[in-house]
This record gives sequence, structure tokens and C-alpha cells, in this order.
Amino acid sequence: MTISPLEILLMEMASGFYLGAFLLYLAEILLTRIPRIPWAPLTAGIGGVLFQSLAIFIRFGFQGHVALLSLREALSFFSWSLVLTFLYLEHQTKVRILGLFIFAIAFLSTLMVIGISFHSPMFSSQQSIGLLLSAHTILIDLGLASASLAFIVSLLYILLDMFLRKKIFNRFFSRIPSLETLDRLNTNFSGLGFVFLTIGLIFAIIWSWEKFGRALPYDSRGRLAFIGAILVWFAYMAIVLLRWRRRFLGKQAAYLSIAGFLIFAATMLALAFFSQGTHFIL
Amino acid sequence: MIKITLAGVNHKTAPVEIREKIAYPKEHFAPAVKALAKEENVLECLIVSTCNRVEILTITSNLYPEPEFFTRFLAKTHPSLSSVPIRPHLYYKVDVEAVEHLFEVTASLDSMIIGEPQITGQVKEAFEQCRKEEAIGPYINQIFQRAVSTAKRVRSETAISHLPVSISYAACQLARKIFQEMSNKSVLLLGGGEMAQLTARHMKKMGVCSLTVMTRDPVKGKALAEEYGASYAPMTALGDTLAVADMVICSTGADTYLLTVPIMEAAMEKRGYRPLFLIDIAVPRNIDPEISRLSNTFLYNIDDLKSVVESNQKEREMEAFAAREIVRQEIAQFQKWRADRSTVPLIQALRQHTEKIHQTEVERFSRTLDALPEDARKQVLILTQSLINKMLHPTYQTLRNSSNIEESWEWISRIYGLPPDAIVSAPPLDSQGIPQQSESSSGDKSVLDSPYSNFPIPGEQSC
Repeated sequence: MTISPLEILLMEMASGFYLGAFLLYLAEILLTRIPRIPWAPLTAGIGGVLFQSLAIFIRFGFQGHVALLSLREALSFFSWSLVLTFLYLEHQTKVRILGLFIFAIAFLSTLMVIGISFHSPMFSSQQSIGLLLSAHTILIDLGLASASLAFIVSLLYILLDMFLRKKIFNRFFSRIPSLETLDRLNTNFSGLGFVFLTIGLIFAIIWSWEKFGRALPYDSRGRLAFIGAILVWFAYMAIVLLRWRRRFLGKQAAYLSIAGFLIFAATMLALAFFSQGTHFIL
Repeated sequence: MIKITLAGVNHKTAPVEIREKIAYPKEHFAPAVKALAKEENVLECLIVSTCNRVEILTITSNLYPEPEFFTRFLAKTHPSLSSVPIRPHLYYKVDVEAVEHLFEVTASLDSMIIGEPQITGQVKEAFEQCRKEEAIGPYINQIFQRAVSTAKRVRSETAISHLPVSISYAACQLARKIFQEMSNKSVLLLGGGEMAQLTARHMKKMGVCSLTVMTRDPVKGKALAEEYGASYAPMTALGDTLAVADMVICSTGADTYLLTVPIMEAAMEKRGYRPLFLIDIAVPRNIDPEISRLSNTFLYNIDDLKSVVESNQKEREMEAFAAREIVRQEIAQFQKWRADRSTVPLIQALRQHTEKIHQTEVERFSRTLDALPEDARKQVLILTQSLINKMLHPTYQTLRNSSNIEESWEWISRIYGLPPDAIVSAPPLDSQGIPQQSESSSGDKSVLDSPYSNFPIPGEQSC
């Protein structure tokens, strides 16, 4: 199934807005201590997410069902959910510095989506996948977005910890929120990621049971996917449990979240590579 | 022409021995303002006197007061200064420079510590006192309003006042980088050094939930705890207190480390490795620097805090560039207001002159006009008035945009054949900018570019 030119145009518009938002956040950090036009980067980000929402809506409408099976579609949904989560967070807690990273990731992701659209226009979901697998793909994508946010706040935590220890007081230092805030965000995003991942995997197991009569698929690609998913799930469970038992706090928790995200992202990329652009089980 | 002149002495031009003599004590301030307001040619005046500066701003008619005028005035109002040469320490600024200086002073760009907030309040207080002495008129009122508005813009649009430049505030700023919520944090004050007490006081203001004082001398410690509404703990309870405290301010007279790595390791384990902020203000140091290697502990000594202060001072200086741009914008606005105000009597005179000609000509043709029907007569009068207005409009614009109003006025007077006494005096304005109803005029003071005009200016600000 080919990709609609309108969808590509909307994605290009979204990509442009995300780039604008990223540049505005960067200028805000480099040029002033007090943002001169604080609404500008946020407005650009909202513009981007509106265009991307339309693009996703067209894709789903064009397909007639949830379409998140290919790398292209998963990337698009991932960046969209990432930006939406950030916008909600910005409304609640005002962690502006996150915008710099979120919109950089969103821009690169949408750029990749556009690249894939031109390079391999046929790589997209072609058949309806049913409710269970649709829920599974959405939840896993949301899990990855949460893990990315936990990864970003963890990086900021380690950076601020380094600034505080080495007594570096630059503009970047002044923009990073407190260690306590970052630690709390890390806990929340890791927890949320774990919940999404767990429910997403449960849906996949139920679907596999319905389709193959067993939780573990027969083919090697499916087995690889299952092992990867279990590995990620255990990593996140360890994070949540260690935090819960208060053994890992602050920097250790940040390192754990970074490791968790890297395992998650590597697994997703490996699966996307082995499945050659479509879902590995189908 | 109205002349704005400022003279003063500040921390940059005079040592403290001179400044302390020049500053006006409270009881001498009002008589000094009165004396200055009574000086010949002084229409309005403002004196700002603080421990770091004395600024004297005057509005005069036609002539700028010489610097000697100010030195004489200072010597007259400070008998103790008669033997001290003031002139070498005095700076002297006129017109835009004078206004710019006052704007910078009010916005704390000329202060010893750039961005300190007290000076704006001191200028406001000085203005109020001068107003009570009836030394304020529309010009100083306008300068003051704009100076305060500039100061507000500088504080809200730049980070000049956001960066602490005292050791104790710098410690609080760092605490904010570690902890988000202060209402559930506890502070341990180890020792009773002056700086540590000040830091603890700031932390208390930040809203920490508890403060514990720990000293080797229980009597002194309990007294200190009572003073700050804190609890007292003996030194033997150090391990237990460390387990619950989130910030430790250490400033004892001990010549050895009170907090060592083994003590801290045990405390960190007890506290579940929650972050701990340690401030060591003591010299010699009371906290082993090796502790900073432990995870989730952040140790700052007096030198580290000084480096925070220095970094903040540099940042404030950087922000001062942006602040000066705001001052320049406000100066441009003031200049526009001044130019508008200067042209008011001139435009008024030109209008009166042309109106007189109009009336004469209407009377000359009255017989012809009376023969016309009422409607046609009205139309002719409207037409002639409209012609005059249209023809005069470019002249008004030229006057308003002129950089040299006196020269422009001379040319316009020649072109329109205005008599030399065309500019009429109008009732003076009070400090609120409202025309007074008295019979007196401005006397021998020039009315060219005078503040004494009842001509309304659209958008004019008043106090």
C-alpha cells in the first residue's frame, strides 16, 4: 500500500515545526537567562504535533485500522506520543529544558519517517491486525516513549550531578531543574514505561495464544522477539523493584534507567531489522 | 529652554571618608531640598542620598548650572565639608546623559553590587520627600516615573536580580538545585559561626520544616536554638541527626574534621542514600573533603561558595548589557516626550497667530459672507479652517521631528511673520501636570520649552 502525498506533506510540516521548536529552545538556553518569548517554542511544538496528528489520522483512516507495525509507523507514533507527553508535562511541572531533547528526537524521528516514506513507500501495514495486536503495538510504543523520557531525565540528572560536584555554574546548569525533580520524573516515567510494557506484552501473549495455541511463537524471529521482550521487561522490573525497596536512588537509578532504555531501544531496532520493516510475528 | 543637570558623588568617584560626609542625614534632607528649590533658576529638583551616593538633579530654565553651583550647594548644606575639595569627586552630566544616569541608578546598574534591589526603593523614597517639599514638577515627575518603569523592566526582563551574590544566598541557591520541595527538609546547624547562622536563617525563610542546632557548648547551643525556633541536639547524637538531616551547615572552631568518611558512610546507609547537601563554612575545615566522593553527597566549602558568588557576579555584569539596552529604549521614549512637550507652546503660538489672521479675513469679507445663505456661509468657514489646518500640519510635523527646535522655530517665525512675543505664557502646572488657576505667570523665566504649559499632550503620563 502506498503512502498518501498529503500524509508526507503533513509529516514534513510537523518535522519543520519540531525543528523550529528545537532551535527556539536552544536559542533560549544559549542567549538569555529569562526567555524573551517563552510561548514561541511551545507554540511551534503544538503546531508540529497538530500536523503529525493529522498525518497519523490520515494513515489510520487510509488503512482502516491501527497501523503501527512497520518501523516507519512505529517511529511516527513514538515521536508523536513523546511530544504529547512533554506538552502535558510542561503544562504540569514546567521542565522547559526537556523540550530541547524532546523536539530534537521528534525532529530526527519525523525526518527518518519521511526518509523511509520516500525510500520504501511500500513498507507499511497492509492487513488488519485485530484489537489485541493493535493494543499491543500502541502500548509498546507508549512504553518506549516513557522509557525515552526516563532516559532523558536520567541524562540530565547525571549532568547536574557532575556540574554540582565539579562546581560548574553555566547557563545550562541554571536551566536544569533540581535533582529531586529529575529523580521524581525518572521514577514516574520508569514506572509508567513498565506498566505499558507489561500490559503490552500480556496482550501479545494472549494474541499469540489465540493464533498459535502457545505463548512462545514457533519461528526463530518470534522467539528472538519474545526473548528480547522478556529481557526488557526484567530490566524494567528490576528498576521498579530496586526503587521500591529504596536500594537505588538518584544517580544509581539514573544509570539503571539509561541501561533500561538502551536495552529497550536496541531490542526494538534489532527486531525491526530482522523483521525487515514489518512486524516480526506476522 | 529647559535644562536638565545632574551632579553627584558615588562609590566610584569618592572614598567612604568623603561619602559619609556628603550623605544627608534624615533630619538634614528636607532643609537641603528646600534650599536647593529656592536657588535662582531652579524650577524643580531631586536629591537622592544613600550611603553609597548623593545625586542632585535639577531642572533649570535656559542655563545649565555650573559644577561649581553644586559644589557650593554641597558645601553650604554640609558645613563639615568646607575643608574638603569636593570638585575632584563630583561627576556632572547634562540632558540625556543626566537622565540616563538616573535611570541606571534606579535600575541598580550603577550600584556597588549590580542588581541589588534597595536602590529603587531609596530613589522612590527620595522622590516622595522632595514632593512633600514641593520641589517636584512635571519634568522630574516624568523622569522619575520613567526611571521606576525602567527599573521594573530591567528586573523582569533580565536575570540581573535572580543570581545571589552573597555567600549565604549562594548556599540557598545550591540547595534549590538539589531539592525541589523545602517544606519537608531538615537542616542541621553544626556550630554557631556567624555565616552559618545567616545561612540557616535564609534556609528557614525558604521554608525548611525543621532546624537542629548542635554545638559542643550546650548552653550556647540551646540559646541559639531558642533564637531560631530550632531544636537542640548534643554532639553525641551526630550520627542519628545526620541520618535525618537533608542539609548540614558546619561552622565550628574545631581544628579537626568533625565529619569523616566512616561517619558519613554510616549515616548515608542509615538515611537510605538520600541526597545530602553539606556546607562547610569553617576555617580550618570541619568536613573531610573526601566525603564529596560518596554518592549522593554534595560538599561545598567557603571557597566553592565564593566561586558561585563570583560566577553570579559575572553573569549579572553580562545581564547588565541587556539592561542597558532597556535603558536606551526608555531614554528614546523620554526624548520623544520631551520633544513633544517642547513644541507645545510653539504650536500653540502658531495656531493663535493663524487664527487671528483667519478672523481678520473673515471680518474683512463679512459683508460678502453675510449675503450667503447660512449653510453656504458655514461651508466657507469650514473650508478656510480646513485649508489652514492642512497647510500647517507639515509645519507641526517639522517642529515635532526637529533635532534643533530653537533653530526650526526661528525659521518658522520668519516664514509666517510671527511677532517676537508670539509665545504667550500659560498658567503653570502642578506636580500632577494639571494647570494651576492662579494669576501668577512664570515671571522672568523663559517659556520657550517650558513645562508651564496647559496645552494637552495625547498619552502624557502623570504621577
